[in-house]
Amino acid sequence: MALWITLGVTKAAAALSRMLGRGAGQSFPGVVAERLDPRLAGRLASRLPNGVILVTGTNGKTTSTMLIAAALEASGERVLSNATGSNLKRGITAALLSASSLRGRFQETIGLFEVDEASLRLVAKDLDPTDIVVLNLFRDQLDRYGELDTTAALIGEGIAATTARLHLNADDPLVASLSRYSASPERVTYFGVESDPVAGATPGQGAADSGRCPLCGARLDFSRIFYGHIGHYQCPNGDFERPRPSVAITDVATADVTGTCFTVDVDGVVGEITFPLAGTYNMYNALAAVSAAHARGIEQEVVAESLRMSTAAFGRAEVLQLDGRSLYLLLAKNPVGLARVLETFVSPLDAPHILFAVNDLYADGRDVSWLWDVPMEALIPAGSTVLTTGTRGADMTLRLHYAGIRSDEVEDVGAAVRRLVRETPVGETAYVFPTYTAMLDIRTLLSGQPALRAVAT
Amino acid sequence: MSGTVVIAHLYPWDMNIYGDVGNVITLRRRLEWRGFDVDVRAVDVGVPFDFSDVDIIFGGGGQDSGQRVIGEDLLARGDELCALAAAGTPMLVVCGTYQLFGRSFTTVDGLEMPGIGIFDLQTVGSDVRTIGNIVVESPFGRLVGFENHSGQTILGPGQEPLGSVTAGYGNNRESRREGARTGDVIGTYLHGPVLPKNPRLADHLILAAVGRKFGTTELEPIADGLERRAADVAALRPR
Ligand SMILES: [Zn+2]
Repeated sequence: MALWITLGVTKAAAALSRMLGRGAGQSFPGVVAERLDPRLAGRLASRLPNGVILVTGTNGKTTSTMLIAAALEASGERVLSNATGSNLKRGITAALLSASSLRGRFQETIGLFEVDEASLRLVAKDLDPTDIVVLNLFRDQLDRYGELDTTAALIGEGIAATTARLHLNADDPLVASLSRYSASPERVTYFGVESDPVAGATPGQGAADSGRCPLCGARLDFSRIFYGHIGHYQCPNGDFERPRPSVAITDVATADVTGTCFTVDVDGVVGEITFPLAGTYNMYNALAAVSAAHARGIEQEVVAESLRMSTAAFGRAEVLQLDGRSLYLLLAKNPVGLARVLETFVSPLDAPHILFAVNDLYADGRDVSWLWDVPMEALIPAGSTVLTTGTRGADMTLRLHYAGIRSDEVEDVGAAVRRLVRETPVGETAYVFPTYTAMLDIRTLLSGQPALRAVAT
Repeated sequence: MSGTVVIAHLYPWDMNIYGDVGNVITLRRRLEWRGFDVDVRAVDVGVPFDFSDVDIIFGGGGQDSGQRVIGEDLLARGDELCALAAAGTPMLVVCGTYQLFGRSFTTVDGLEMPGIGIFDLQTVGSDVRTIGNIVVESPFGRLVGFENHSGQTILGPGQEPLGSVTAGYGNNRESRREGARTGDVIGTYLHGPVLPKNPRLADHLILAAVGRKFGTTELEPIADGLERRAADVAALRPR
């Protein structure tokens, strides 16, 4: 079918779906397009003059994509992204579709898409990316990922189907081992942390997600663990070890909740970066951006400046001001992610005010078992005031109870947020840890609703 | 009440998905709340382990790769575990370890792994995962949890199940039976983890253990309001 006919029909479908107010308005045209022409995404993407970059991994996709976009834009690119949409194939198709003219032309110069781990295979085959970034692989409570090894193999298939440059996290053994799927090893770049990223990082919480050698199955020896299974490792049988990263953080000058200051070494060129996103996990997101930008020939100073100017992505440590209180929104997606934000934001405090909003809708993952994999006992200060809410607030309260932490469940999310604000003294900060759909609920509540203004009364 | 209760945690490194560690946390806290000291010891592949003073044994679920890693090691300890089971040591095994406590596990590719045979059951891998909230009627009351497994388990003719399924699937897609029970050895597909929301089951294992060790006949009651609330909520969630 001629491209313009497909485009006409699908754009009409998109307009119709908006008119009918379909909730799935963002993906629906993507679904129609895939029916009419399964190759549409690839045909459109090939019209972007500077190609396509894909970003995948369990944690940090959205933040890394945002950081890479900022660096690309700072260098003069116009970036087409799925930042506000779905990271499944139909979401990426929909983003391409909505940006293209009826003749299949783009204002944008480059595509940059975050891709769900299990979807990378299909998306990579279709879009023929110039670069693929893989951040990390952790177990995720979303039901569709039963097996981490299966997810890795799916990403590997996607990699094998392209000639893309690879940007791999050297400090994640399962990610680093993905280089074996690359058609050309000289096109693999590793990024990693050489120095101790933060004094007091919590080692020994187990490299349990991926503690075994991807080649021979022996348990890896870790000389350093930064968090989860992220660190410096080698196989005792000598067939696999952490590759030496060419994009590396070699020194961390300061690290606290306002962000980090670190030295980055890119192929021997050293520079200082001031980065306002807190947490070791965000340093890896910054490294991914440095690596991808470097591959595009973007000057290091340009990247450093764009990182210095970055702000948190949707729900990733956004700070809202509310009736004289500051409210941190910290998305809770999976055990490792939640443990990291707890450790970064509340563990150092004496008496933080905390709200956990735990939903079990499809987009959150129906299974809330993962709450037990977070070492709450070690992460939540004894003097905390803790509330829970959401469809599974009761599960969180039970989890905390067995960690020796008292919490009150408030069934209604709005009531929970109001009580949190009321109980937090004026001028102080409260911390909200919502799952994905709970985050959406809270964002809706906080988007200038009159009810919210009345919160503190 | 005092004294130390020893819990052996089978393969915490390789079999530890879907919050199964919560079962150990629950056993520990419910013992501590009643004045017992608790010593949790990890059993690891290839490392000698002395079961002689162990009071409760727990093993969780894992990825297929984890199951392959532990298979031979578990088999090597099979006689010892069977003897402990016959002597009345309470055990709880979930998902992947439950399958290997049966006679055999056959992967979807047709590879057969022998189990240690405490339960008379066989499991065959399939292409479909059985995933969702599950509710079971059992001698320990209503049990609520979450199942996520591709293995289909068939009980042998004399094997008692843990309970019958009222929502979800359990052992397989037809039988409406869930888990297996032989004396005080209990196998189940319920994650969640299973014990926090089902404290009667936790206390059954605990009483069996302290009864054998200290002659305890009754446990101090615990106000299980939060446990009941979480279980009630979970039982009403869509699959
Ligand atoms: Zn090896």
